[in-house]
Amino acid sequence: MANLKLSHIYKVYENGHKAVNDFCIDIADQEFIVFVGPSGCGKSTTLRMIAGLETITAGDLFIGDTLVNDMEPKDRDIAMVFQSYALYPHMTVYENMAFGLRNRKMPEEEIKKRVLKAAKMLDIEEYLDRQPKAMSGGQRQRVALGRALVRDPKVFLLDEPLSNLDAKLRAAMRTEITALHKSLKTTFIYVTHDQVEAMTMGTRIVVMKLGYVQQIDTPMNLYNEPYNKFVAGFIGSPQMNFFDVTLKREGDVVKVTFVNGDEVNLPYEKVCKIHESYLNGDKTVTFGIRPEHVSVNKEGHGMRLIVTNVERLGNETIVYGKLGDHLEEFTMKDEGKNIVIKVVDRDDINAGDVVYAEPNPEKVHFFDAETEVTLMNKVPLFNTVHAKTVGNKMELLGYTVDLPEAYINALGGDGEVSLGIPPHAIVEGNDFELKVGRIEKVDDKNLAYLVNGDSYLFALVPDEVKAGDIYHFALANEKINLRKDGKDILAAVSDEESMVGTFTKTEVKENGDRVLHFFYNIGDYTIETAPENGYKINSIDGNNCYKYNYRYAVNRDNIRIVGENEEGLSGKVTGYVDYGNIRFAKVKAADEELLIKVDPDFKADKVKLAFDSKDVSVYSTRIELKLC
Amino acid sequence: MSEIVTKKTRSRSRVQKTSLAVTYILLIVLGIIWLVPLIWIILSAFRCEYQADGTFIGTVTSNFFPKAYGLKNFQDLFTSTYYGVAKAFPRWMLNTLLIAIVDCLISTFLVLSVAYCMSKLKFKMRKRFMNISMIIGLFPGFMSMIAIYFLLKSIGLTGNPNHPANSVIGLVLAYSAGAGLGFQVAKGFFDVIPNALVESAKLDGCTNFKIFMKIILPLAKPIIIYQALMSFTGPWMDFIFAKVIIGADNAAYWTVSVGLYSMLFGTHPDTNLFTQFAAGCVIVAVPIVTLFMFLQQYYVEGVTAGAVKG
Repeated sequence: MANLKLSHIYKVYENGHKAVNDFCIDIADQEFIVFVGPSGCGKSTTLRMIAGLETITAGDLFIGDTLVNDMEPKDRDIAMVFQSYALYPHMTVYENMAFGLRNRKMPEEEIKKRVLKAAKMLDIEEYLDRQPKAMSGGQRQRVALGRALVRDPKVFLLDEPLSNLDAKLRAAMRTEITALHKSLKTTFIYVTHDQVEAMTMGTRIVVMKLGYVQQIDTPMNLYNEPYNKFVAGFIGSPQMNFFDVTLKREGDVVKVTFVNGDEVNLPYEKVCKIHESYLNGDKTVTFGIRPEHVSVNKEGHGMRLIVTNVERLGNETIVYGKLGDHLEEFTMKDEGKNIVIKVVDRDDINAGDVVYAEPNPEKVHFFDAETEVTLMNKVPLFNTVHAKTVGNKMELLGYTVDLPEAYINALGGDGEVSLGIPPHAIVEGNDFELKVGRIEKVDDKNLAYLVNGDSYLFALVPDEVKAGDIYHFALANEKINLRKDGKDILAAVSDEESMVGTFTKTEVKENGDRVLHFFYNIGDYTIETAPENGYKINSIDGNNCYKYNYRYAVNRDNIRIVGENEEGLSGKVTGYVDYGNIRFAKVKAADEELLIKVDPDFKADKVKLAFDSKDVSVYSTRIELKLC
Repeated sequence: MSEIVTKKTRSRSRVQKTSLAVTYILLIVLGIIWLVPLIWIILSAFRCEYQADGTFIGTVTSNFFPKAYGLKNFQDLFTSTYYGVAKAFPRWMLNTLLIAIVDCLISTFLVLSVAYCMSKLKFKMRKRFMNISMIIGLFPGFMSMIAIYFLLKSIGLTGNPNHPANSVIGLVLAYSAGAGLGFQVAKGFFDVIPNALVESAKLDGCTNFKIFMKIILPLAKPIIIYQALMSFTGPWMDFIFAKVIIGADNAAYWTVSVGLYSMLFGTHPDTNLFTQFAAGCVIVAVPIVTLFMFLQQYYVEGVTAGAVKG
């Protein structure tokens, strides 16, 4: 029993193909994690990296508290069930199950006890003397499970274990594996391409595509709040319907207009997290609605469609239709026009009927047409607030506040501006106050809907804030994006600063031993890093690492200004950016312009910057890869 | 309509018949060319003719079929002294058997281990190594003969008159040391064994050696037998290495091929030994033919391994 931590795991093959990109997850003890995705998405590769059957190109893998990147598979205390079962054909079932234990020099009596117990648990006691070839697929699968079971491992890895079984057996084994997980109380990691297995078995699911993690969440969250169109389409059967639409807000209602001109109205309250720039009626977005969240009527409410096919499954009826009223040739590809609806207890719908479909406003999804990312983030990325500047003052949210110097310089005169305020830029303070409309619990955070006229300002608030309260707050000016006349004029200051540099090593003799020291070289600054980081970079890029450039990223808070005579990165101060509550010096160093946090009265022409090597993240400049 | 079809069928069958006839004639001719020497040697081995004065005719005669048959050649072969070695032929047989068995054990193990590494382990230069070994394999083995001779001589493993037995060790080394390069067929067989088995054994706590011994070998019976047969027949049939490494002076340590050859073309050739030579040829073939007959089934399985993806 153990927890697992995968931190920025990458798998890059020798030919440069990236199978897994930046895989991060913390798996708690006794969790049942399912990796799901279409073939080639990197799910099996990730599992094999956990097992130790594939090397990890970059990143750290912890089982319990131990870093196991370079540990042999047999020492990781894991057991794996393979898709092909991988039973040893020349051994009996008993020998198959006992093989691993015998290798670990366990006393024969204990082996017998464990094998019999596992056999009883899996109901294969009577087959112990048989060879695998004399057994059916389902029985072999049980033996494979049993072989893993007897080892009593910390982590169970299962690689598509049910894909070779027929549908009925698969359903039965699904239940058995879930029951096994409950009784063993061990961490399970399960790979499948079958979303039904994922939804029914996992406590959390990792959805992957082309080597990238798309979303990690509980089955119900994946179903209800998919992060992007891929996850939305992958989870759920029949899959979600997608349509190209435009959205226009008209008071309390948002009008959804389909390409064919059909319209559906949704209450604004249900889609208020969608950024206002999508609600002008001029941007095409993808509207997603699951088949089971559409109701069918003949009274003319909703989208008009012609029924092309009806599948009656007994417990439910699946209606295939085409939006509009012309029955053209039906093609599955044409997803913008086709619609699938799942209805219960309706036998009055037949092919050729013209009916109306009404989406459930509680269950609608909207995605950006280009990035395919949801427009209804659990926590919206930023709020847009319109303001007016007059002189050195700004009117926003019904208040007039002093403009910070950075804003004055960027604005260059009076006028209308819009502020992109991320929720975390709304901080405690007394500059503004708004009424809390409601509070939504998002993971462990409290998302407050602050009532700002006819729309909402989203903020993350402490636990004690309740709906109906008046919330006092201030704005962290440096985290706000400023736009004027449709152009970005001042970008928010990011948390990190990054610089390009090289990587070197020196070899010295210490007490007769050869010891290697590794260094990051940024401009004229040389900073020694821990040997493990050096070896990590070397193991990924080989000896070319001493020729390549790397991008070194440091959290802005960890960059400090040091004395003239100390080791550091020399820079020239070219100016200051004053946000009122915080002030930065613009420093030109190592061919980059850096923003360095300084005191309000700081003044200098030259500075030396220093930071600790442990605060530095190293990225490849050739491929998107975090090395350490 | 049907008439046309019949005509066509008939004409086609005529063409087929002619081509079949040509094929068979060709095969029969080839068969005769191939079989005549063999039959001639077997007949000569059983030839038991005497001249009018009672002396035995052991030379090549102009008549293909012997006038009299008998086992005298075999008796003489097993009892005569050649090159000062009493009962030389049985001794050569034993030498060859010993070398073949030792080589068979070492080579089979080496070949299978290399094949396992090439098939189931991933390491840098693996592909390149396989290509290089393939190219090296294209050159005939005796090209390296002189180099091997001098290498063995420098460590005293050639026909040294003081330690003649060393040359046998040298010969075994020469046969088995480079055997690993002939891993391709066995690799083809191992490639068909699913990798999941190896991975599963790794998770079960096996080292590579243990996986090889406990998982791979028990599943590789045909290829073990094929490889053992190949390694066994190699020394049995080889002449060049045996001749060079053991040397002309150590008649007691010769292998059968060197011995038989010397009966006709050696330092003291005796033209009257031809029929005994023929008897020797028949005897040499017996163990190999017997082995192949019993292990034929595995041999075919082994040689076709990996040809079709399993």
